[in-house]
Amino acid sequence: MIMKKALPRRAFLRGVGTAAIGLPFLEAMAPAMTPAAKAPVRMAFFYVPNGMMMDSWNPTYEGKLTEMPRILKPLEPFKDDILHIGNLTHNTGRALLDGAGDHGRCSGSYLTGVQVKKSLVEIKNGVSFDQIVANKIGKDTRFPSMELGMEDARQAGDCDSGYSCAYTNNLAWRSETQPLPPVLDPRALFERMFGSGQPMTPEEKSRQSKYRRSILDFVTDDTHKLQATLGPTDRRKLDEYLSSIREVERQIERAEKDNAQIDPKMDKPYGVPADFAEHFKMMSNMMAIAFQADQTRIITFLMTREGSSRPYRELGIPDGHHPLTHHRNQADLMEKVRLINTYHIQQFAGFVEKMKTTQEGDGSLLDNCMLIYGAGLSDPNAHLHEDLPTIMVGKGGNYFKTGRRVMARRETPMCNLFLTMMDRMGAPVDDFGDANGRLAGMDLPGLELA
Amino acid sequence: MQFGRGKPAAGAFFDSDFQTVDSLLAVALLHGLQGKSECRVAIVTVSRNSLKVAGYVDMVERFYRGPAAVFAQVPPPGMITTGDGGVVSPGLTEPFAKKKADGSPLFVNRVARVLDTGDPSTLIRNYLQAQYEKSSYFVLAGRATNLAAALDFKGVKDLLKERSSHLVIAGVESFSADPAAARKVLAEWPTPVTFVPGEVGKAIPFPASAVEKDFPANTPDHPVAAAYAAWQAMPYAAPTTALAAALYATRQKETYFKAETGTVLVGADGKVSFVASASGKHTQLSVDPAQRDKVLAAYVELATAKVVPPQRFRPAAADAAKPPADPVKFPPKP
Repeated sequence: MIMKKALPRRAFLRGVGTAAIGLPFLEAMAPAMTPAAKAPVRMAFFYVPNGMMMDSWNPTYEGKLTEMPRILKPLEPFKDDILHIGNLTHNTGRALLDGAGDHGRCSGSYLTGVQVKKSLVEIKNGVSFDQIVANKIGKDTRFPSMELGMEDARQAGDCDSGYSCAYTNNLAWRSETQPLPPVLDPRALFERMFGSGQPMTPEEKSRQSKYRRSILDFVTDDTHKLQATLGPTDRRKLDEYLSSIREVERQIERAEKDNAQIDPKMDKPYGVPADFAEHFKMMSNMMAIAFQADQTRIITFLMTREGSSRPYRELGIPDGHHPLTHHRNQADLMEKVRLINTYHIQQFAGFVEKMKTTQEGDGSLLDNCMLIYGAGLSDPNAHLHEDLPTIMVGKGGNYFKTGRRVMARRETPMCNLFLTMMDRMGAPVDDFGDANGRLAGMDLPGLELA
Repeated sequence: MQFGRGKPAAGAFFDSDFQTVDSLLAVALLHGLQGKSECRVAIVTVSRNSLKVAGYVDMVERFYRGPAAVFAQVPPPGMITTGDGGVVSPGLTEPFAKKKADGSPLFVNRVARVLDTGDPSTLIRNYLQAQYEKSSYFVLAGRATNLAAALDFKGVKDLLKERSSHLVIAGVESFSADPAAARKVLAEWPTPVTFVPGEVGKAIPFPASAVEKDFPANTPDHPVAAAYAAWQAMPYAAPTTALAAALYATRQKETYFKAETGTVLVGADGKVSFVASASGKHTQLSVDPAQRDKVLAAYVELATAKVVPPQRFRPAAADAAKPPADPVKFPPKP
């Protein structure tokens, strides 16, 4: 596998069994890549439920981002990498003629731009745009796309006023009727990414873990051979990369140990930590690795499911998230929602930092990404579907002029942004969802995205 | 756009270049009809590239929708972004100079740039999607540019066939200012089309006394009354072609006017003509002298009606005071 002249971009460190570790972008790969030797562009969606306290999300100004709004404060160190987009709308999330169920609709249609069918049984949506991209470029990576989440992934039952849980618990849709349920369990994700054989019961896993060695131990020989061929920069990069994998492994092992001590009968997958922040960190660390090693270029991440009533006791908030968002303009309830919104961004900021500090080519991994963080509702108290909270973090391959707050024209379809992103991902299509054009190139003042 | 308790009244779509003051009165009349639950004003779109016009329209919509705007989204004014906006009547700008007793502006203009408006075709598509089958109608009072563009916008023609029942065109002078668009709308609009010639408006002018007395008696500081008064020196009686179109479009069963079948034509010079024929695809209205007083009374009553913000369809007002029930059911336990 080790090549003397150049490494292929999709090289692996292979070991015994099914262990296989993809490699990050190394200088040693450059000659093997296209003449431009450009790193690929990746995209990820971080969906948060129940809208946003927009008074603390939207800046009071436009243009260059200076002081960040309260909810976005944790992202202030990265404000130069952020495009804060205003006025994007998902008309298909609105009631239209289907009555109650804004939560079911807004998450179901978020990436499809299609009005979902109100039903518990006859599920009908559209193909989400991430899957259109995956169909086009997914062959270039080990996983065409990754669907991840942190909460409830059940696919049946009534999750909102007659809307199936399939709509609230999935972002990615492979076909009109086939959602792609998110992986919630860090261990399951780890094994999917690095291989470990067949799924095991918690007991089997526990037994195995006594004897478990690091996945890195299985690829030691290959690692040593590769290191011997690399220059100092690549060697350091490889060390950092392998260390990050080991760190994730340790986190998962810790979580499994803690879970066993806390509540062996807990209603969660075995490897899912009880702590929200810890769970997010594990998942996002693996996302970073997946992007770094070019295992996938497309990730959808459901922070918690739409309509989630998860309490945030770690913030001193025992109330459910969703009931709180119907705050009826009561200051104390609104403040709790702001705290939850900010807490979510804090977790996301940790991921952004990781991406920003991971070198790729002459820049950072973040430079080659489009990380969309947003929600399918803006004002949750009124269930509004316009001016959806949306930020893009990363320059999409040094394409977007970030560090700015830009406004689209009112009622501009969110699908316009998706069309633009599909272009950047190398999977252009003429039309998508209810788009009325592309976001970039609209000759309107204030909206010069590229 | 949230309906949950029965079928709401038909949605009214109003498009105009607001070149004549009767277009403003027509908006007021539609809101008067909305106050009687005879229609719901869906959107108002502007067929003139003028932020001043769009700003006035937006202000009027907010004025009528009032506190209900919290729960019923106030759609942005649709506005075309090409062409010359032309001269804007002081009637559309002077109301913004009016002050309250404390010195603050009586009416606030929230449209400062194109971004504050919406694309007319997109708005028409989006709001048609929220209408029940054959439960909406269009009123056009001005150049047909927006409606012609909407016909070519993806999905709109099919939505019109499915969700809309008729179009009524007010034959104001500027209707044929974009003759190609006028011809396209007359030829391709997929619902029955009725034309109200300018003579109908001239025959039943709007009385200045209604502006001076009825408006303030029902609603002090009314923006339409302010615009009318600033449009030209008072007192004057404005033609009511757009009012006739809006009234006829909403109260189709009333015999306010005489109707004749035929074909409306727009010549190369922009001149509009009507050829009567039983096989024609259009209908043209004319004044019925016997109905004149009744029509005028309806104009005044409806256009100057006390402002009634649109009703929410869910939850009912009585329920609103209670803590909201969590509409999201917890997922069933496996």
